[in-house]
Amino acid sequence: MEAASVRYAARDRPSFPNQPAETQLQRFIQNACSPENFEPNLALSLEIADVINAKKGGAPREAAVAIVGYINHRNVNVSLLALSLLDICVKNCGYPFHLQISTKDFLNELVRRFPERPPIRTTRVQNRILELVEEWRQTICETSKYKEDLGFIRDMHRLLSYKGYVFPQVRREDAAVLNPSDNLKSADEMEQEERAAQSAKLQELIRRGTPRDLQEANKLMKIMAGYDQRNKTDYRAKAAQEVSEVQQKAKLLEEMLQGYKPGDEIQEGDVFEELANALASAHPKIQKMCEEESDDTEAVAKLLEINDSIHRTIERYKLIKKGDIDGAKAIPVGTLGITGAGVRKGPDNELSLIDFGGPEDDLGSSTVAAPSAGQDLMSGGQSTPASNGKGHALEDDLLGLTMGDGSIGQEGGVSLGTADIMAQFSQSSRPVAASNSIFSGSTPLSHPPIQAPSQQSNFDMLGSFSAPGTADQRGVSKPATPIPSALQHQQQQAAKRSSADPFAALATPPRQGSPFQFQQSTKPAASHLSPGSLDLLGGLGPSSNNGTATPGASTAAHAPAPDEEWTFSSSVPDDPSDLTVTNSTIRTVFSVRRENDAQLILHSRISNTTSQPINDLTFQLAVTKGYTLSLEPQSARSLAPNQINGISQTIRLQGVERGAGTKVKLRWRASYSVGGGQPKHEQGEIVGLGVA
Amino acid sequence: MGGSISKMMAKIFGSKEMRLLMLGLDAAGKTTILYKLKLDTDVTTIPTVGFNVETVTYKNTKFNVWDVGGQDKIRPLWRHYFSGTQGLIFVIDSSDPGRIDEAKNELARIIQDREMKDALLLVFANKQDVNGALSPRAVSDALQLDTVARNHTWKVEPSCATTGEGIFEGLAWLSQNVKVGDTSGK
Repeated sequence: MEAASVRYAARDRPSFPNQPAETQLQRFIQNACSPENFEPNLALSLEIADVINAKKGGAPREAAVAIVGYINHRNVNVSLLALSLLDICVKNCGYPFHLQISTKDFLNELVRRFPERPPIRTTRVQNRILELVEEWRQTICETSKYKEDLGFIRDMHRLLSYKGYVFPQVRREDAAVLNPSDNLKSADEMEQEERAAQSAKLQELIRRGTPRDLQEANKLMKIMAGYDQRNKTDYRAKAAQEVSEVQQKAKLLEEMLQGYKPGDEIQEGDVFEELANALASAHPKIQKMCEEESDDTEAVAKLLEINDSIHRTIERYKLIKKGDIDGAKAIPVGTLGITGAGVRKGPDNELSLIDFGGPEDDLGSSTVAAPSAGQDLMSGGQSTPASNGKGHALEDDLLGLTMGDGSIGQEGGVSLGTADIMAQFSQSSRPVAASNSIFSGSTPLSHPPIQAPSQQSNFDMLGSFSAPGTADQRGVSKPATPIPSALQHQQQQAAKRSSADPFAALATPPRQGSPFQFQQSTKPAASHLSPGSLDLLGGLGPSSNNGTATPGASTAAHAPAPDEEWTFSSSVPDDPSDLTVTNSTIRTVFSVRRENDAQLILHSRISNTTSQPINDLTFQLAVTKGYTLSLEPQSARSLAPNQINGISQTIRLQGVERGAGTKVKLRWRASYSVGGGQPKHEQGEIVGLGVA
Repeated sequence: MGGSISKMMAKIFGSKEMRLLMLGLDAAGKTTILYKLKLDTDVTTIPTVGFNVETVTYKNTKFNVWDVGGQDKIRPLWRHYFSGTQGLIFVIDSSDPGRIDEAKNELARIIQDREMKDALLLVFANKQDVNGALSPRAVSDALQLDTVARNHTWKVEPSCATTGEGIFEGLAWLSQNVKVGDTSGK
């Protein structure tokens, strides 16, 4: 401070254009701060912010240095213009600029005109500077993700207060823009943001060049180059957490709307509106996330489901706001996690049940598409406490059996997708799902057959839609046993269901069964299926495993897959579908697309989920008779640590007629060695390719 | 103020300061060159993850030499070091003609960056002690320096990092060609 005032006395900036501006950025800043402006040129200021954001690198520093030069200009107007430009840059250029305004030299320069003792009346310029410092301290120094890098702002604030300067009141709402937005961010966006911040920091550390900074720069480089994985953020997990926060909001709003009584007023800016706005802004983001996560079927399915439920909640909110309470009630209730709340008692109960069994349940089962217990994107922040409990495994088991529907049928070979068996399943499970309080005592089978038609139509779709899930349902440890026992389970489950919400089951189903389970579950299939698949089994069976496929040898045995609810098949009829084939050491995702009436194209992408290199990877596929496989060569045979989609391969599957895509059975076998160790083998079966 | 006095002295007595950035593909010999300059010994290096920086004084010029790792994962981070660089030392493994094309692409990307527009370019055709190493002429042709670096002052210097041959010659060329007055790396 003292030094600053000494410098203030020692040298003053020369009069206005102190030197010809060299770069475009400097020219812009010069123009924005030119005393010819009677008021801040907002357009130009925003353009400057854009230039800084676009150029990155040294641009934030260049701008900060230039602006602070004008702040210390003799002409008060120039100073004020520069301060307004500074404010805009701080608010629009993010962390790279924040890093610059928090450097010692910038802050010292900023308060260069402050006398040692505060004057009786601070000037307008001083006042504005104090206001800015106060604003920064209250916002970015508190809420920024990287606030530890901005410590000098706080130090400067403390120093100024110590000297006796009084900070003006800051209007919170003005400064609020500096706080990190609570908009939903996808994994990609978060990663990009983090990269930009790291990049800015590295640049600044190198510029400062003190030994300590350089040491830190070296560490940062290791992180940025991916050599230091210790502090690596799991962006997907974070995204999942954010989604779950949105989901919480949706749930809250839904609950509030449920409790809404005619006559209650929804006022401007109250909690209702706040929540609804937050949800509305999350809506497009979730859609974007769906695109980004397109290689993870279960994540997409879950996102779609969340998206839909948010949509319904918003619709209901809008209707209620308009006063159309009946209209609002017509929207199927039961947003995420509060299924029970969705069933209303009273005369319109029947309707509610059907509604309930409709879209809501449909959505549910699309998410079955293969979540894994540990790594599942969406399981992270799920609102259901039951999802992680140990005892839940049993329930999952039950769910897996009873609700497995199509997938079990196809998997175990018991029902083989025949509609009548499935119809029983669906019929019996439907009322249970819907009832909770009302029907919990009654036997599922005794349910009135009136409901069958409406479910039947659902049910046909199911065949195609549950298919993506089936590939990953290998983990179902008890091969689908005869139906009666399944129904028994159903009953048991009915009792349990009242406590479990639909998401609990969806949150942690396994993606990858152990080979042992796989063997178990496929044997019945072999006996029930065509000779073709039997041959396959013989070929790929235990003998070819080199003994590595002992129980639990390759991947942990997960609890079997629950498959709780139904799905809309009509929503994505002919689109490419993603299918997670393996998710252990290697993660294999097939994206399946129909090429023409007789051919499917599968793009396989293999990622390494370990931090060790994987070598000699061979991925083999076999198909039942009647179909022809042609595999293009793998793009590589080795994967770097944690490499995503490092190996790709195009697979053509001929002879699959339209509509038969869900019945195709494939077997796969992968062998590889991790970190140069013993070769590992994995194998499994894919039933149904997720496209028609 | 002390800084400006010493700068003035530096001007009078002709001593200069120069910021050099040493880049190149992995295993080209950058770190070996750096420590040959600094310590005049042949050190055994491991792949650089991150960077090394040393100050070397030679012929009245103080060189701040930044040696940044050359593995492909680190290359995207090179640009953070461009700012203020007065001389780029690009190190080529002359004994590995198979990767010279890759080197050419990297060099083109660096040298055409706006922040490098005033930098001198010194190419070390390193590992000249290996039989069958490319000649400096062949290296400059392969890198297409005539086109890629046509806006720069450049030179290809044959070198051998382990013996130190050619290294100081290269530094001498840099100190002779650096624009006087443009000392600090701002």
